[in-house]
Order: sequence, then structure tokens, then C-alpha cells
Amino acid sequence: MDHSEASRLMASEKYLLDELPPTEMEAFEEHLFACHECAMDVRAGSVFLEHSKAELANFSPRVARRAAEVRPSGGFAWWRPAFAIPAMAILLIVVGYQNLVTYPAMQGALAENKAPRILPAASLVSAATRGSAPSVVAVRAGEPFLLPLDIPPQNAFQSYVVELQNPTGGVEWSLPVSSESVKNTLTIGAPGVDKAGHYEVVVIGRSAQGQNSEVGRYPFDLQFARTANPEP
Amino acid sequence: MQFHAFDRHYLEKLTSGDFRTEEHFVAYFSELIRLKLSRRLHSLSEVEDARQETFARVFAALRKQDGIREPERLGAFVNSVCNNVLLEYYRSSSQEPTSDDEEAEANIPDPAISVIDVIANRQTQEKVRQILDQLPEKDRLLIKAVFLEERDKDEVCRELGVDREYLRVLLHRAKKSFKSIYLKRVAKEAMQG
Repeated sequence: MDHSEASRLMASEKYLLDELPPTEMEAFEEHLFACHECAMDVRAGSVFLEHSKAELANFSPRVARRAAEVRPSGGFAWWRPAFAIPAMAILLIVVGYQNLVTYPAMQGALAENKAPRILPAASLVSAATRGSAPSVVAVRAGEPFLLPLDIPPQNAFQSYVVELQNPTGGVEWSLPVSSESVKNTLTIGAPGVDKAGHYEVVVIGRSAQGQNSEVGRYPFDLQFARTANPEP
Repeated sequence: MQFHAFDRHYLEKLTSGDFRTEEHFVAYFSELIRLKLSRRLHSLSEVEDARQETFARVFAALRKQDGIREPERLGAFVNSVCNNVLLEYYRSSSQEPTSDDEEAEANIPDPAISVIDVIANRQTQEKVRQILDQLPEKDRLLIKAVFLEERDKDEVCRELGVDREYLRVLLHRAKKSFKSIYLKRVAKEAMQG
């Protein structure tokens, strides 16, 4: 074996990997002992591998960890621990939160709706009267309250819309009301609010042509109280 | 290792017993002999015994009046002596050294590990670490499985989705990266020797 043949066959690498058949190995060794370049090549490779063994023995945890990453994973890549473990953790947190916080709260709310209770009310029956002091309602933050009011029926309007304007002038909510409903005193169950202050219920009449006109304003002051009403 | 041409001058110094030339000669061929023997013998002690025996016979032949006279044949001669030693090992696994061998062994340079060797070893280890760090994790795993764990190469290649050619090329590249610092190291050792 000459040097060009040894290079072409990658004989140095095959020798270090113990891949040469016996006859080729002997032929390469004959060359190796006489060729300085191949001798240094094999020696360098051998020393590198000896030192690599020592290095890689210390690399064990990293190698083992990454080994799992290089395995072909196909369509189940998302089941790898890197993804599955955080996903499971998030899922457990969500389930735990639902069971410990959300569902008990919903059950409490349902129970509250089923049980009788007294709600605070801001009577607006005479609130539209000029010069009268605004009604005052004391509620807890977020607590629903009642808004009883009279809307004077007008033939010009086919329906009405009741809006609640908050202290900043924004519309808190709006409620469509039929002309039939206004024949009697309306009692609106208002959802709780989180701001105390001066509120106004605005009634807007809607004509058959779709034109809107303000019918009246019913102001009231909403105050927050620690215990506006005793619990049932 | 700095290469000393195996010329007539080198051969004369070797046959005359020049210590530094003998030291270079042993250092140059030791690793090659060890690699050759380790592919054929089972234990490290057998390899070491056969290596010592090979050098003993080579030096004994060099000191004879009708010993080797063609310097370009020096490498082939060492290889052939090693082959003869191996043949004898195949015939008898328990071989006691002769008195002549013992005398020859005593003359073989075997320098102790010095502080410089330790530093050089650390530098070599650092270079190897750098090369390994730059390799993809799969390649490190491949080298570890094949050379450290001595697992079946086909099985490892199959597991990692590569072929045997990939392993050869990986070794070739790593060896090439390492060779430059290795050559510097052996050249320094030769100058300090």
C-alpha cells in the first residue's frame, strides 16, 4: 500500500476504527511504519480519541440528556418531555384553578340566584321631576341593585332604550324596552358597578321611522357601603 | 514530534547508543507498536510486554555488527520485528524474558513523566475539549458510544441515523482539527528532549 492509496481508502480512519480486514490492515501497517505522514496522522487520531474518552466520560449527563433529543421522534414530537412536562404543568394549574376558584364561585353565584335576598334600590319613580333631589343608593362594589322607574308612554315612540350613564358620561349598559312594558312601573335589575358617584338613567324613545329622541333623565347617586344590606 | 529523517546519520547515532536519538526512536514507534499490538492482544500487560520485547529485539539487532544498514528500511524493520514478537505470543501466551532481553530492556529509554509533560497533557486535553464542544451533540454521542463505551458501531450508527462513512468523516475532521496542536506539542517535546 502506498500513501495515495492509504489516503484514498481513508486507511488511517479505518485503522483507528478497527475496520480494516486483516490483509489490508497488515498492508497498511507496513506502510504506516515507513510513512511519517500516516504515522503522525494515526498517532494524532489515537491521542485525540484517548483524550476524548476522558472528556466524554465527564460529559455523561449532557450526552444522556441530549441523546433523547436526537432520536427521531416523528409525529409524536410534542410528547417529548421538553414540551409535554410544561404543558402538563400548565394544564394542572388551569384545572386546579377551575376546581378551587372558578367552580366554587359559580356554584356560589348559582346558589345566590336560587336563594331569596333583598337588593338595594334607587327609586327613580319621581326622579325625573325637576327640582327633586337625586335618589341615593348604597351598595357594595359589584353588587346588583334595582332601578324602579316610570316611563311616560308616548304614542310617537314604538319602543324605548334605557341606558345607564356612569359618572364619566360613558354608557354602562343599555336595555331595549317595548312600548307595552312602559305602561307600568319598570323595575330594572342593574348589574353591579365598580365606581361610586353620580349616575343617570337615560330613556330614549325610538320612532317607527327609526329616529331616536331622549325622553327623560333619571339621576341618582350611588355610594359604596361595607354592608349595604344584611345577608339573608 | 519533530520528524528526524531516518537517514544514515540518524542510524549511526542510533546504533552508537546516542540517548536522545534512542529516546526519539522509542517515542516515535511506541504508539504505532501499541496500536498494532492492541488490535491483536487481549490485555494491556500483554501489549506492554510485547512492546518492550519488540524494542529490545530492535536495539539488539541495531547493535550487531551485521545489523540493519539501510536507514530507509528502519520502519519496516520495526514492523517486522513486532510481527515476529506477535507470532511468538500466539504460540505461547506465557513467555519469560531471557537474560539478553532483560539487558536490552534496561537500555531502552523510558523517560518519566515531567512537569512539562503534565502541562502539555493539560493543553492537549483542553484542545480536545474545545473540539468536542464544537461538535454537534449527536457527533459527541457517536464518539462516546463507539470509543468509550465500545458499543457495536453498526448499532450505534443505526440508532443515530448515520452510516459508517459518516463516522469515518467525523473522525477525519476531528483528527484534522487536533493534528495541528498535536504536531506543535511533539515538536516542542523533541526540542526539549
